[in-house]
Amino acid sequence: MGLLSILRKLRSDHHKELRILLLGLDNAGKTTILKSLASEKIDQITPTQGFNVKCVNTPGFKLNVWDIGGQRRIRPYWRNYFENTDLLIYVIDSTDQKRFEETGVELRELLEDEKLSGVPLLIFANKQDLFNAAKASDIANLLKLHTLNGRTWQIQACSALKGEGVQDGIEWVMKTAGAKAKKK
Amino acid sequence: MLQAGKKTLATFKHGPVTFLSLLYNIALIRSVIKWIIRMLTGTCQLQRILQKCESGTCTVKIEECLRRSKFQQLRRIVEVEPENLDAAVEQIMTIKQIVADTNPRFFTMLRTCLEQIHGYNKLFVEIEALRTEKYDCENEEHEKLLLKLWSLLQPDEPLTCRVSKQWGNIGFQGDDPKTDFRGMGILGLLNLVYFAEHYPEHAAKSLLHSMHPKYGYSYAIASINITSMSYELMCSGLLRSHFFNTVQGRPTTEHYHEAFCYLFYEFDKFWMKSEPENVMEFSRIRGEFMKTIQDLLAYLPTARLLMET
Repeated sequence: MGLLSILRKLRSDHHKELRILLLGLDNAGKTTILKSLASEKIDQITPTQGFNVKCVNTPGFKLNVWDIGGQRRIRPYWRNYFENTDLLIYVIDSTDQKRFEETGVELRELLEDEKLSGVPLLIFANKQDLFNAAKASDIANLLKLHTLNGRTWQIQACSALKGEGVQDGIEWVMKTAGAKAKKK
Repeated sequence: MLQAGKKTLATFKHGPVTFLSLLYNIALIRSVIKWIIRMLTGTCQLQRILQKCESGTCTVKIEECLRRSKFQQLRRIVEVEPENLDAAVEQIMTIKQIVADTNPRFFTMLRTCLEQIHGYNKLFVEIEALRTEKYDCENEEHEKLLLKLWSLLQPDEPLTCRVSKQWGNIGFQGDDPKTDFRGMGILGLLNLVYFAEHYPEHAAKSLLHSMHPKYGYSYAIASINITSMSYELMCSGLLRSHFFNTVQGRPTTEHYHEAFCYLFYEFDKFWMKSEPENVMEFSRIRGEFMKTIQDLLAYLPTARLLMET
C-alpha cells in the first residue's frame, strides 16, 4: 500500500457519509428531531408533506438524514427511500398509547423488507417530557425488540422538544457506524 | 461600525447586489453622495423618495432611509411607534429642514408612510400571537372553529363524530386534526376557515384538486404549510411591499388572511401545473413556488398578492 492510498483512506474515513432514514407515524416528532440535530429552530414546524432532508456534520461523519412524512397516505412511499440506507431511526410518540399497535405493525413491516435487512435500528421513545409518556423499556417490551435476530438495535428515551436524549442516540449511531466500517 | 455593517447586510438581502449599491452601502461614501445630491437638488433623500416612488416601494424605502439615518431621533421614530404621529412628522421636517409651505404634500405622504410602517409591525405582533396560540381541545372557540371548517368544506356530509376518519377527506393526517396545527397554532386554522368562508368556490375547486387521483395532496396539511410560508414572508419583511401597495392605512389580520388566500390558491394552481410525480415532490415544488413569490415581492415594485375576483 502506497503512502498516497493510506492518506486517501485516512481522509475518506474522516468524511464518511452516512445515509440515515428517519421514519415513524405522523406526529411522532421526526421533523423536530431532524431540526434539533441541525441546530435549527423547532417552534415553527408543520406536518411533513413529502419529505425533508438535511445534512448534519458531526466529528468524523457527514450524516444525510432523510425525514419522510408519517401520514398513512405517504407510508407506501417509504420504500422508495430504503436503498443504501446505513441506519434506520424509528421515532415513537411515547404518549400515543392508542397507536402503539399501529406503530409496531409499521416497524415490523419495515424490518421485514429485504432492502433494510441488517441495517442497524435506533428507536427514539420521544416526548418523555410529557407526564403520560410510556417508559422506553415498556415500549421495547411492547414491540418485542428482544426477538429481533441478527440486527443491532437500541432504544433511546428522548424529548426532542427539550433537546434531551437526542444527542445520546446520535452518539450510538456514530459508534455503531464506526464499528460497522471497521468490520468492512 | 460593525452594527452598521450588519444592517447593510440585512437590507441587502432585499435587493439586487450591484457594485454601485455596495459602494453606496458603505456609510461614509453614502453620506458624501447624499450630501452632493442634496447640494445639487436642494432636496433631502426623504423628499426625493416621496417625489419619485409609488406608494408601496416608497414606504419600504422611507423605512430603510429612516433606519439608517445618522440622527438617533429619526431612527427611533421607526423603531418605536411615536404616540403622536403628526408631531413625529413635524420633528422629521424640522431636523431635515423641510419647509411645509414649499412641500405641501410632504407632510401627509410621510404620515401615511409612518402609519403603514407601524401598522405592519403591529400586524406582525398580532400574527405572532395567533401563531403561538396552540390548538386546544378544551377551548370552546377552537373547537367551534374546527367544526365550522368542516361544515364549510363539506356542507353535504355531516361529521359523524368529533374524532373521525372523515377528517382525512379534507386532508388532515389522522382522525383528530388537533395535532396537525403544530407550529402554526390557531393561525393555521383561521386561515383555512377564512379561505373556505370568503372564497367558497375557490376553496371547493382546490379541495377537488387535492383529491385528484394522480396529483392529489393533503389539503389541510398543505394549507398549514402555506400558512408557514406566509409567516416566513412576514418574518423576512418581504410581505411589506404587498401590504404597503394594497393598504393605505394600517393592515389588519383580515388583510393578512387575504394574502394567505392568494398564496394558497396560487400554490394549488402551481402544483397542478407542475404535474408532480406524486406527493413526495411537495418540498421541491413548495421551494420553487416560494422562490417565485420571493422574486415577485423583491423585484416587482407594484407587487400585490390579491385574489382575482
